[in-house]
Amino acid sequence: MTSAALLDQDFGSESEDDNFNPAPADDSDNDAAGESDNEVTERPRTNGSEQTRRSTRDEGRNEDDQGDTSARPKEQHSNGRSGGIGGAAEDDDAVGEDDDDIKANGAGEDDEDDEEDEEDEDDEDEEVSGRPRKRARRDPRNQFLDVEAEVDEEDEGDEEDDEGQADPFIADTHPDDLADLPVGAETDDRRHRELDRQRELDQQLDAEKQAQRLKERYGRSRTTATDAVVVPKRLLLPSVEDPSIWGVRCKPGKEREVVFAIMKRVEERVMTRNPLPIISAFERGGTMMGYVYVEARKQADIFTALDGLSNVYPRTKIVLVAIKEMPDLLRVTKSQQLQPGGYVRLKRGKYAGDLAQIDDVETNGLEASLRIVPRLDYGLNEDTNAPMIDNGVKGDAQKRKRQGGLGLVNPAARPPQRLFSDVEAKKKHSKYLQAMSTFDKKHWTYLGETYINGFLIKDFKFQYLITENVNPTLEEVTKFTAGAEDGTENLDLTALAASLKNSTASDSYLPGDMVEVYEGEQQGVCGKAVSVRGDIVTVSVTDGELRGQSIEVPVKGLRKRFSEGDHVKVIGGSRFRDEVGMVVRIKDDRVTILSDLSMQEITVFSKDLREASDSGVAGGLGLYDIHDLVQLDPATVGCVTKVDRESLRVLDQNGSIRSVIPSQISNKIERRRHAVATDRNGSEIRYDDTVREVGGEQKQGVIIHIYRSFLFLHNREQTENSGIFVVRATNVATVAAKGGRVTQGGSNGPDLTKMNPAMQRNGGANGNSAMPPPKSFGRDRAVGQTVTIRRGPYKGLLGIVKDTTDSEARVELHTKGRTITVAKDTLGFKDPLTGQSIDYQRFAGGRGRGGGGRGGFGGATPSRVPEWSGGRTPTAAAAGGRTPGWGAASRTPAWSGGAQSGRTPTWKQDTMSGGRTPAYGADGGRTVNPYADGNRTAYGGAGGRTPAWDPGARTSYGNPSSDAFSAGSKTPYGDFGGSKTPAYNSDTTFGGSRTPAYTSSYNDSWASNNRPYDAPTPGKDLNTAPTPSNGYTAATPAGAAPTPKFSGYGADAPTPGGAPTPYSGQPETPAWGGDDGPRYEDGTPSP
Amino acid sequence: MFFLYELERVISLHPSFFGPRVKEYLTNRLLEDVEGTCTGQYYIICVMDAYDISEGRVIPGSAVAEYTVHYRAVVWRPFKGETVDAIVSSVNRMGVFADVGPLPVFVSYHLIPSDIKWDPNATPPQYTDNGDQVIEKGTHLRIKLMGTRSDVGNMFAIGSIKEDFLGTL
Repeated sequence: MTSAALLDQDFGSESEDDNFNPAPADDSDNDAAGESDNEVTERPRTNGSEQTRRSTRDEGRNEDDQGDTSARPKEQHSNGRSGGIGGAAEDDDAVGEDDDDIKANGAGEDDEDDEEDEEDEDDEDEEVSGRPRKRARRDPRNQFLDVEAEVDEEDEGDEEDDEGQADPFIADTHPDDLADLPVGAETDDRRHRELDRQRELDQQLDAEKQAQRLKERYGRSRTTATDAVVVPKRLLLPSVEDPSIWGVRCKPGKEREVVFAIMKRVEERVMTRNPLPIISAFERGGTMMGYVYVEARKQADIFTALDGLSNVYPRTKIVLVAIKEMPDLLRVTKSQQLQPGGYVRLKRGKYAGDLAQIDDVETNGLEASLRIVPRLDYGLNEDTNAPMIDNGVKGDAQKRKRQGGLGLVNPAARPPQRLFSDVEAKKKHSKYLQAMSTFDKKHWTYLGETYINGFLIKDFKFQYLITENVNPTLEEVTKFTAGAEDGTENLDLTALAASLKNSTASDSYLPGDMVEVYEGEQQGVCGKAVSVRGDIVTVSVTDGELRGQSIEVPVKGLRKRFSEGDHVKVIGGSRFRDEVGMVVRIKDDRVTILSDLSMQEITVFSKDLREASDSGVAGGLGLYDIHDLVQLDPATVGCVTKVDRESLRVLDQNGSIRSVIPSQISNKIERRRHAVATDRNGSEIRYDDTVREVGGEQKQGVIIHIYRSFLFLHNREQTENSGIFVVRATNVATVAAKGGRVTQGGSNGPDLTKMNPAMQRNGGANGNSAMPPPKSFGRDRAVGQTVTIRRGPYKGLLGIVKDTTDSEARVELHTKGRTITVAKDTLGFKDPLTGQSIDYQRFAGGRGRGGGGRGGFGGATPSRVPEWSGGRTPTAAAAGGRTPGWGAASRTPAWSGGAQSGRTPTWKQDTMSGGRTPAYGADGGRTVNPYADGNRTAYGGAGGRTPAWDPGARTSYGNPSSDAFSAGSKTPYGDFGGSKTPAYNSDTTFGGSRTPAYTSSYNDSWASNNRPYDAPTPGKDLNTAPTPSNGYTAATPAGAAPTPKFSGYGADAPTPGGAPTPYSGQPETPAWGGDDGPRYEDGTPSP
Repeated sequence: MFFLYELERVISLHPSFFGPRVKEYLTNRLLEDVEGTCTGQYYIICVMDAYDISEGRVIPGSAVAEYTVHYRAVVWRPFKGETVDAIVSSVNRMGVFADVGPLPVFVSYHLIPSDIKWDPNATPPQYTDNGDQVIEKGTHLRIKLMGTRSDVGNMFAIGSIKEDFLGTL
C-alpha cells in the first residue's frame, strides 16, 4: 500500500504529461495492430473519440482515487513506468527520432498559435510548480511505456478544457506514433488538418447535396447493372441436352406453397448423401393454376423430390413440357409495380370497388397494406349484422366469409365511407375498441382491425386488388387527403398522377394537341399530335433538331404542353370538367388555370386539358347557359350562375342561391331587348347599362336581365356567383348607359321625336302639344241608349247604357241582367237615322253634323290630304306648326280690338316668313279685317270656349276616324285659321238645326265671306306658289267648277258664286262651309 | 398596341334624317356607335375620319336607308406578351385585378414574384414585399400580358409581373 501511495505521488508529479497527449493510451493497441501511414491519417478521429472515452473513464477513476488507490493497479504500473522513463527521456535527447518529435511539435505550434499559447500557459504552470519541462524532450523510447496512465485530478480539468477547445492535441503526433512511422514518412499534421477541413466543408454542405454527392460517387446506376453481360438470346434457348420440365398437378392456389416446400426439402438435403435430383421448381401463378413445374433430368427424380409433399400430386398425370414451350413458361409478365402512396381498388368484400391507398408493400411481393376509408356502422345495425361482429362463433364466421367471398354486398347494408371515429365506436362497441398507443390518440384497434388516423389499415393480397385502370377521381382521392392542421389539403398529386397514368386513356389525345415527350429517348421533343392510334401518338415535331419529322410515341411518355396564358378547357374526368380558363401556372404536369366563369383557380393535370378557342365563354352544353334567366316557379325567376354537368346554380330574385337540376326549371325567359326600367332617379335603364347600388355595398354592375323590378347585374370583379347579383331597380343609380343615352339628354345628336313630323304627330298624342279629346258637355247622349258591345268578353251582347264617364260606360246587359263597365269605344250605337250600328265617336260627335254628310266628306278628303299636309307644313315650319293658327284665332280679337290697322303691317312683314300671312297681306287691310272680325265675331258668338273647341273637334276627327277626315278637318284649319271652329261649335251646340242657318244667312255671308277667303289664297298664289295650289287642289274635289272660278277669282269676287256651288253640290261640303262659314260669315258681316 | 385601322360600318338612317345634313348625321352616328367600343379583338379608341360614305340605299319594306361608311380609326389591340402599364382596380387573395385602359387584366398570385406576399391584414389589403413595393388599389403596375381572351363585346387578359422590370412603378 505504501508503495502504491508513493507511486501515487509520483503519479501526481508526472501527471502533466497527460496534458501533452492524452492519446497514448491507445497507442499501445495501435502498435499491436501495426500502425501504418494510413492509420496516422486516420488518427485525429480515433484520438478524438478515444479522448472522450478516456476522459469519462478517468473521471470515474479519480473519484475512486480519493479513498482507495489500490483499486488502480494499472495506473500504478503505468506510473512506475512513466516515472522511470520520464527521467530517461530527459537524458536522452540526442536520439534521432526525437528530432522528429520536436519537429512535429514545432510544426504544430507554428500552425496553431492558440494552442501554442495554451500550451505555453500550461508550461508556465508547470514551471511555476517547479517541474521541468519535459514534453519536447520526451524520449522516443517511451513508446514501450504506457504513459497514458499518468492522470490525476488536475489533468481531468485540463483535459476536459482541451476537449472543449478545438482539440489542440489532435494535430500532435505522439512520439509513439512517430516511432511507428517508416523513415521519411510525413509526420506533420497537414493531412489531418486537410481532413478536418474536408469534414467541416462536408458539414456545411446541406444534407441534400451531400446525399447527392454520395450518390454520384457511390450510387450504382441501374442501367449498368442490368445488362452487364450480353449473351445472344438464341444461345440461351433450351435444347435437347437440357433438362426437361414437367408440370405436376397440385392443389390450386397452393402452387407457391408447394414450391416453397420443395425448396425447403432441397435445402435440407443439399449436403447430404442423397440431395434432391431436381434442378428447379417454379409455378406460373394465376395463368397456370393447379400446376407446379419441376425441372429435372428424369421423371423419376420428380417422384423422389415430391414424394410425401402435401398438396402436390406427382402420382397423377405429369405433363412434359415441350422444348419449344419452355421459354414461354419463363416469360415474365411484368408485374405491376405498386408504390406506396399509389391507388388501387379492391375487388371484393365490403370494400369492393372502393379506392384504397397503398400504405406499404410487403417485401414478399404478395401483399400490400392498404389505407381504406372505413365503412363502419359501429354496431348500429347490430341485429342484422350480429354474426359479422361475433368472431367467437365459427359458424357465423363462415357465414360471413361466404357472404364476403361471393361479393354479395347489399348496398343497403353497406355503410357509407367515413373516417373511423372512436367516439362512435365507443357508443356501442367500447369493448371491441382498444387504443393502441397512448401518445397518439389516433391509433385504434377496433374489432380486430387497425385504424390509424381514421383510416383502416389492412393487408390485402395482390390478387384481390385492381391495380390497372384505377382511375381515381379527385373526389375519392380527396378522402385520403386528411386535411392538414390548418385545413389545407395536402393532396399528393404525383402519386395520383402515377395511378392515373396506368389508365391508358388514349382518348385524351387528339390530333392537333401540342404535346411534349417527357420520357424515353425523345425526351424533351415537342410537337403536334398528328394521329392517335391506340396508345401510339404520331407527333409532328415542331422544333428542335427533329423539326419537321414525325415520330411515334407511346401515350405513356407524353404530356400535353401548354404555356401560360393559354385558354384551355378541362375535358378529363375531374370534377372541374368543362371549366374554361386561362393557364396561370404550370408545374410539371399540373396546370393551374383561372376559370373564366368563377374567376377561381383550379389545378388539374395537363392531360385533362385541351386548348380552347380564345373567345367565348363556353358554359354548359345543355339547354341552359350561364347568365340565362330562368323561371323556377310562377313567382320566382333566377339567373344561372354556374352550369355543372348535371345541375345548375341559380341566383333567384331574392338573392338566394339554389342548386337546381334542369328539369326543375319551367322555362327559360328570353331576353327582351326593349325591356326598360327606371332607376331611382327616374332615368330609364336598359340592358347593358352600368348601374350602381345606391345603398348597401354600392356594388356596381352591368345589367344583364331586367325582370319586373329586379335587375340582375354582373360584375366581373366579384367572385361569388360568378359575378352575378340581384338588386331592385329602385335601388340603383345609373352610372353609364349604353350609347350615352343619359348624357345625350337634349344636347348633341338629333332627336327623332323632335325632328320627324310623323313622329311628332304620333308623339303628340301624349306630348303637351296633344289636343285634348273632344269633350261633350252636358249630358252624355249615350246614356239611355241601347247598345251592342263590339269587343271583349261581352262581345255581341245587348245592353242599355246606364252611366258614363269620359271613357267608360256602365251597361246593363239585357241578357245577364247585370251591369258591367266597358270602354265606350267598344260600344256600338244604333244610328237613330240609318239604324246602322255606329261607334261612340260618331254617335256622339257626328250626329250634329249630319251623319250622311260624312260619306261625301270622306270622299273628298283623300285627294286633299296630301295637299293639306303639304300646305300646312310651311306654316308649321315658319310659324311653329298649327299653333299660330290657334294663336291667330285666339289672338285675333286682341289684335283687332287693340290695333287693327297697326297689326296689319306686322302681318305683312310676317308675310315673308309665313305662307299664309302673305295672303292676308296681299289682300290688304280688308282681308284681314273681315278675317279678324270674323274670328272675333265667332268668338263673340260662341264664347270663349270656341277656340278650345276647334282643336278638340279636329283632333278627334283626325285620330279616331280616318286620315282623310283629319286632313279634311285640318284643311279648314290651315286655311282659315280659326274659321272652322265656330262651325264645329255651332255643330255641336246647334245640332241639326244649323243647316238652315247655313243656307239662309251663310249663303249670303258666303258670298262675301268666301271671297275674302279665297282672296287670300290667290294672294298666296302670288307669293308662294305651292300653298295656294294646295289650297285649290284641296278645294278641287268640291267640284271642277271652283277652280276656274278661282282663276277668275284672283281678280275679283265672282268666286263666291263658285264657292257656294261646291257646297251645294256636295252635301258634306256645305256642312263644311257651314262650319267654316258661319264664323266667317258671322264675322264678315259684322265688319 | 395602337393601330390606325380602316374599318367600315353600315348605318341605317330613318327617313327623317334624309336631307342636306345627312352626312353630318352619319358621322355623328358613327362616332356615337363606334368610339369606345370593343369588338372582341380590339378597342376602337377614336375615329379619325369617315372618308367614304356610300350612297344610301333604302331597304325594301322599311323606309330606313342604309349607308356604308368607311372610316379610319385608332384601335388598340392588346397582344400576348405585350408589356403595358395598368392601374390596380382590386386586390384579393388570388391576385390583382388591374385596368389597362378599358381592358381588365388579372395577375394571379402565381405570377407575382414570390417575395411580394398577400397581406390581408393591411388596410386596404395589399400585396407587399415589406419594402417599397406595395400593390393595392390604385397602384400603377407594369404588366406583361400572358394571355388574352375575347368575348363578344369585351376582352379580358391575364398578366404577369414575375419578370425583370415589371411590377410597381
